[in-house]
Formats: sequence, C-alpha cells, structure tokens
Amino acid sequence: MRDISTSINKVDNDEKTSGKAIYVADIKLDNMLYAFTVRSKIAKGKIIKIDYPELPLGYYIVDYKDIPGKNIVKVIFDDMPIFTEGDITYLYEPIALLIGPDKAVLSKLFAEVKIEYKEEEPVFAWKDSVIHYHFDKGLGKSALEEGKIIEYVYQTGYQEQAYIEPQGFIGYLETDKTTLIGSIQCPYYVKNAVIQALGAKDDEVRVIQAAVGGAFGGKEEFPSLMACQLAVALKKIKQPIQLVYEREEDMLVTTKRHPSRINFKASIKDNKINGLSVHVGIDGGATIGLSGVVLSRALIACTGAYAIDNLDVSGDVYKTNTVPNGAFRGFGAPQMFFAIEMFVEHIAMELGLDPLEFSKSILAKQGDYTSTMGVFRDPVLMPEMIEKALEVSDYNNKKTMFKKQQNLKGVGMSLFFHGCGFTGSGEKNIIKAKVRLKKQFDKVEILIAAVDMGQGVKTTFRKLVAHILEIDIDKVIFNNPDTDFVPDSGPTVASRTMMIVGGLVARATKEVKDRWNEGSFVVEKQYEQPDYIKYDESNFKGDAYPAYSWGVNVVEVEVDRFTYQVKVNKTWAFYDIGKAIDERIVIGQADGGLAQGLAYGYLEVMNHDKGKIMQKNMTDYIIPTAMDMCSMETYLYENPYAYGPYGAKGVGELSLIGGAPAVAKAIENAIGKKVFKIPVTPEYIMELMKNGKD
Amino acid sequence: MVKAFVAKSLDDCLNILNQENVKIVAGGTDMLIQNRTHSGIAIGFKTDVLYVSLVDELKHITEDKSNIYIGATCSLEQILENNLVPKILRDSILEMASPAIRHTATLAGNIGNASPAGDSLVCLYLLDAKLEIKSINSTRYQLLKDFILGVRKIDLAKNEMITKIIIPKINFDLVYFRKVGPRLSDAISKLSFAGALRMENNLVKDIRFAFGAVNIFVVRRREIEEKLIGIDKKTIKDMSDEIIGYYSEFIKPIDDQRSNKLYRKEVCSNLIKEFLEKI
Repeated sequence: MRDISTSINKVDNDEKTSGKAIYVADIKLDNMLYAFTVRSKIAKGKIIKIDYPELPLGYYIVDYKDIPGKNIVKVIFDDMPIFTEGDITYLYEPIALLIGPDKAVLSKLFAEVKIEYKEEEPVFAWKDSVIHYHFDKGLGKSALEEGKIIEYVYQTGYQEQAYIEPQGFIGYLETDKTTLIGSIQCPYYVKNAVIQALGAKDDEVRVIQAAVGGAFGGKEEFPSLMACQLAVALKKIKQPIQLVYEREEDMLVTTKRHPSRINFKASIKDNKINGLSVHVGIDGGATIGLSGVVLSRALIACTGAYAIDNLDVSGDVYKTNTVPNGAFRGFGAPQMFFAIEMFVEHIAMELGLDPLEFSKSILAKQGDYTSTMGVFRDPVLMPEMIEKALEVSDYNNKKTMFKKQQNLKGVGMSLFFHGCGFTGSGEKNIIKAKVRLKKQFDKVEILIAAVDMGQGVKTTFRKLVAHILEIDIDKVIFNNPDTDFVPDSGPTVASRTMMIVGGLVARATKEVKDRWNEGSFVVEKQYEQPDYIKYDESNFKGDAYPAYSWGVNVVEVEVDRFTYQVKVNKTWAFYDIGKAIDERIVIGQADGGLAQGLAYGYLEVMNHDKGKIMQKNMTDYIIPTAMDMCSMETYLYENPYAYGPYGAKGVGELSLIGGAPAVAKAIENAIGKKVFKIPVTPEYIMELMKNGKD
Repeated sequence: MVKAFVAKSLDDCLNILNQENVKIVAGGTDMLIQNRTHSGIAIGFKTDVLYVSLVDELKHITEDKSNIYIGATCSLEQILENNLVPKILRDSILEMASPAIRHTATLAGNIGNASPAGDSLVCLYLLDAKLEIKSINSTRYQLLKDFILGVRKIDLAKNEMITKIIIPKINFDLVYFRKVGPRLSDAISKLSFAGALRMENNLVKDIRFAFGAVNIFVVRRREIEEKLIGIDKKTIKDMSDEIIGYYSEFIKPIDDQRSNKLYRKEVCSNLIKEFLEKI
C-alpha cells in the first residue's frame, strides 16, 4: 500500500478552477433581498438622532430594537453588540441593516440616512488595559537582579487576512427554522451565536457552509456578527436576504491581526540567558472578543524555540476606539516569534557571540520544560533541521560573505514552533469535539464541522478514511458541513483540524473497519484529552498544548541601495509536522504560509489614522504577487505524534510564523543595522541606514 | 439614466462628441474603478459615456522620419510589443499594472486621466511627447506638458479627443527608467524616475531628468537640463550633489497611505546618483 503522504489531486480542483464552485455571492433565491450596513461615521460618542429616509414599500430598517434575544455576539469574551444601542466605540460600528430588493435604490437610500452624534474624544493610545495576565517560571523577576542586563523593545503592525472572497452570508426561513449559508470557518460558532441572538431553540437554527474563498482566521469569529444581524432581519422580514461585503467595506470593518509592542529584558550569566522578563501589549480594538486568547498564545511562546529557566511574563490587551482585532493564522505567535527571534539575535550580537551558535546552545530539547512548566514530550528534531538548513542554504558562508560585500545582500534564519490545537484546556473543557461516520453499504460518509477553506480538508479527510479502510476515495463522502447533519467537531482553527479532528476520525474509522461486515451503521467518537496533559488556565501552569510542530526558515534578500526596496531571492524551509497526510497539500500550505509570513515582515503595511484604516483596498494594501516571490525549497520531517492520525500534527499556522523574523534578520545582515519593528519597509530601512544601531 | 454610445469609426467619435455631452472611455480600467458602486449594479457613471475602443483607425502605430505615432486606442500591451516605440517608454509600460490591465488600458487613457502617479507620463514628458487632438472641424497639436493642467485636469474641449500620441525620434546614448512601487509589480508608484542622455564628442549634448508622483505635475525642468549641456563626461558624473540641489525646490512629495515625503525625496536624489553612475 502507498504511503499516505503520497500526493493525490485535490478533490475540489475541478470545481474551483473551472468556476463551478458556489460561493455565497453566487446564490440567488426567489424574492431575495439585499442588505447594506448602516455604520457610524465617528470613532467615539453617542447617537443623538437618526433620520432615515422614507422607505418605499418592501424596504426595511433592522436595528437593535428588532433583536428577539440578547444583543451580544457570542464569541469567547462576549462584549460586541450585534447592533449598537447608541454608544459608538469605533468608526464604522454597525447601527442597522437597510434591506430591500434593488441595490441601486438601496444605495440611494443609504446616502440619505442622517445621523446626529454627540462626539467624544476617542482613545487610540494603549493605556486602557482590559485584560492583564502575569505568570512566572522558576525564580521569576528575581533572576533579573544579577548579571548583565540587556533590554530591547519590538513592535509589529496590523496584518489583513486578505482572503480572496470577502465576508458574506445568505439566509432564509424554513417554517420555524432560520437557515444561514455563509463563508465561514466555524459553523457551530455561528449557530450558537445566532441561537443566543434570537433566543431560539437548538433545532431552530441551521448553518451551512458555502464554498469558502480563503479565510486565514478572518472567518473565525467575525462571521458570527454578520450572521446574528442577518438572522434578526430574517425574523422580521421573512424573506431571503443576502449580506455580502464589498472589498472596501470588508477591509475597513473586519478583524485584523493585533498590532503589538513587546518589551524584553534579559539577564546574562556565563553567556546564557539567566532570566527573561517580557511584557506584551496588544491593541484589542474596540471590543475584547478573542484578544485574551491571542495574548495567551503570545505569552506562552515568549521563550521562542529555547529553554529558559527563569521567566517573568506579563501582558495586557488594550482597548482603543479602533476596529476590533481578532483571529489571524498564528494567533499571537507571529508577533512573539518575531520579537524573541530578534531579541536572541541582538543579545548574541551584544555579547559578541555568533547568533546561531548562541541560539543552538539554548535550544529546547525533548524533556525540557516549556514556559508554563509543561514538557516537550516528543523528540525535538531542530538540531537535525538546522544542520540541513546550513548545508543546503550555505548559510554560514553567505552570512560572513554578505557582511563584507558592497552590495546589500543578506541572509537570515528563524527557529520556531507552534503549539498545536487550542491553548490550554480548550479542547477538553470548551470544544469537546465530536465526529460521526456513517457507513451505508460500501460507502462511508464523514460528518464533521471542519471547513475546507482552501487548505484541503475535503481531500485529506477522504484520503485518511479511504486509506485506513483500504477502499477507493470515491467511496468516501464529505459534503460541506451543515449543522443539521454534522456534529460539533469544533471550529476550523488553531492548526487542530487534522491532528484533533483527524485523530478522532481515524479512531472512528478503525471501528468502522472492524465492523465492516455489519452493513449500515453510525460510529461516533468524542475527544478525550491524553491523561498526561494537565493545564491550569488561571496560573498558566502545565501543558498548554498536547504537541508542537517545529520549523526553521532561511531567507536570502537583496536590498536596493538606491531605493531600499527588498527583493527576496530565495527561501529554504524545514518543518516537523509529524506526518504529512498529503505532501503536496502540506507544501502548498507551507509555501503559502511562508509567503504570508515574509510579507508580514517586509511588505504588508496597514495603519489607522484617527481610527480609520488607511489601506482600505487591494490597491493600497500590498500583498506579494508572483513577481515578489521567489524559488522556495521546502523540506518536511516526520516525527509522529501518538494521537494524531498517522502521527500528524498541526500544519496550518506553523509556516507563517518564521517568515517575518527570518526576513528581518536577513535585512539586518544586508544593511548592518538592527531591526526593531515589522514590516521592514523601504522607508524604515532608509531611516535605519541613516540613524540605526549597528 | 446614463446613455452609452459605442463609436465604430473616428467620424462617429467626432460626431457624437460634437452633439452629446459625453465622457470618453477607452480601456476603461481607471474609469470603471473611479465610478465603481456595489457589485451587481451598473457602474455609476455620472455623465453619458462614449466607448471608443472599437475604433480601428486609432489602433495603429506608425512612423515617419522624425516621429512615432501611437493611435489613441492602442492597448498598452500592443505598444509594449512594438519595436518602433522607444525602449524607455516600453520599459515604463512593462511596469504598469498587471498583464490583464495592460491588454485593455490605453496610453491616451493614462494621459487623459492626468494622475500625478500616472506611470507613462514620466517617460512621455522626458521624450517631449506631443498629442494630436481632433474635433469635428479641427486638428491641433499640443505638447503633453501643456495639455496637463493639474491633478485630473486637462486642456481638452468637450468636442475634442486625443487621437494620437506623437513621440519625437531621438537617439539617446543612455536611457534609464525606474518605477519605485511598494512591490515589484502591479502597484501604484511611490515615485518614478526617468533619465536620458546624449553625448557628442564626449560632451553632454542633451540630458533629461523627469520625476513622477512627487509633485502635482511630472517634474521636468528644461532650464536645469540646459545648464548641464557641454559638460564633459567625467565632470557630470561627479555633479550629483549639485544636480540634486537644483531639483530640490521642485520635488515636493507628500505623505500618504503608500509612503512618506522624506522617503520620496531621498529616493529621487538617490536615483539621480544612480543615473549619473551609469554614464
């Protein structure tokens, strides 16, 4: 039998490349209405009065007064209203939906809505902390009392998911049931949020996933807001309604990656880090939502890929009158790995040591304690991966040579990991994933809530089941999740899908295999945390993740000495992801993730001016084109995790994390100045070359 | 309701222009964006429009002894592939937008749009490009630099249209174009630079500098260029600080969502240096 990693064609290649796939905006229902969102024009204040134009017959306004249930979007921290009741906390906060059959008429009416506000001074500075965390490891702060002290501050900017398809839903009523079809990552998040908004019973809400044109975390929690608004409108109007954002609206109002400021302080004894003190500040925007969980993941990753005995770790989520920030591939880790990778490099430079040798000397090994006193239980292949990286990229030779050369070439290496699955006890206490397999004659249907957003779930899960059962993949059925049929296997996030949900599906499949001759039957499995995984959420103590995926990236760049533009010449990437369920799909994820991570590091600029996002379309928000990318060499390492199917661990987020530090270090090597913030734009490089630190 | 006219010939165009109050749409790649609305509803043109992209007479690139003539509806891609067109102009077109846009967009459209960040304008200013402008009863010729009156303002009467772009034939010894965008393709310029040089007996005979996106007009200063005529090769190569000084008062960039003025100004200076290094 073939190794499961051997690639097959993706099962949705044809429908996606031919244009046959049905996205939300493609769906047209009889008597369908369109919804436009009326939004605030100020960043902070109160609504005094709204004057709506006189509405023609068949046109409606839907606002907070129409909500039958709770006016709050159920996320993790529930503080976002579905529609504001008068308080404005950020620019373009939703006030109402304007709904009707003709978009041209809606546009005209929309322009005629007049709102009077009492404006208040908006807060953009990071001073209003709404979540504060702190934990120690070992001696904590007291380890900072001796030895040589080194301190630096690092900053990261916004990042926009820039999914191919903007956010959208279409909804309709079936007698008592409110049905929503959406471009989403988490069907059950949406369903549970809508149940709360409508005050409905469990069987009165149905959520179906349409084809999803990319998500990158952007369709984790934000769709719940749109779905609640639309569900409220459906209840009032009782006609099908489509709510699809235009690109600009999407970029102005949807969640983005949290900007961060990370302060590091280390005490050095005998050329080792004796103690590390870190404070992470992130900008949550106007509501908290997932920000606390994002902060946790950042804090837990504070040692990077290294073992450091004494830690003093703290962080704050700051509330500002800006667009709420939320989930984005990596979820706090990209910010932290940029900062720690730069800091370790800068410590080595300050000590006059070779940065890579210094990194290698403090690298975490199997059996070492994590930042939260969990244990890296599985073998850590990093030394082997670094060796290979040095060999194929000629890193050491290039690094010395580029330093001496006139032209501004540089090479940088990043070392990183990603904790797979939900942080802490989320899987056990909150998600409690369930999967179901239905065997009928010679066919098996996979019933899970996992969404194929381009990452290949439809292919890899069918392949997994077919491979275990030793049957043809055509005998395995996997339709887009519909909450009326699939159990809640959890959201499609946190690099958990193959490892956690796939692990359950594999267990269920083995049972199907054992009972193959029984005819038609159903098998259900529920997540059980491995016994050895214990985590104390409030004290940040224990195993925050059941397993870790690891990576090494090497990036070579050239900086133009006249324009300071960066050209990435080549990347080499090495990932330990347990086991690839399909090698080509993993490499697709890996190379796409690295491109997104590199771009986070040097290309993607987003900022706000008084709460208004300045790069509001794909003309001004710069993501890399094929011309900007380069040849990428990618190596996968097998290192099976006992509870993942065939040993698979997380893949989705890992490959985004190392790009920014690797490209930033490569630019440092090229220009001979220290980099403290990303994106490393030509404007910043110019500033560094004039006034930067050597 | 907006009316749309589709012209099949140049006569058609000129007649419609004479009778109706229309905006001309050639490739439409900027007009459609400027007038965009929601998906699923008509483009929000504010006036009647005249589509000219089917007019065959305006799709030719020709030459005579002293000039190249580019028809107004030639697509950028067509210009890019035509060897009659000066290399520096083709270099600049190659860096414009994406292949899909280049197959539809026109040079005349980029001129009519009169954006300070219009990529083709820099080279056209450098080359002293002229326009042929027709109405039903007249044909006139105007230098491009006089045709552009300001940001999105042009010297074109209601009944007129650009019919040809005329580029004088000059043999330069060195031409150099640099678009500085936020990425390596398909992006709007932060700034752009074009330089050209002709030497005679080792002395500067003709030297030109043009800068885009750093002022409301493309910056081209004939009086500065004239100061440099007659200087020998070695001397001019060492004159970068002086030349940068000459241009300083004309290079007045702004801060915006794409870049900042410090960067734009400094890179202009650097590109003068780079050009002089190449001499």
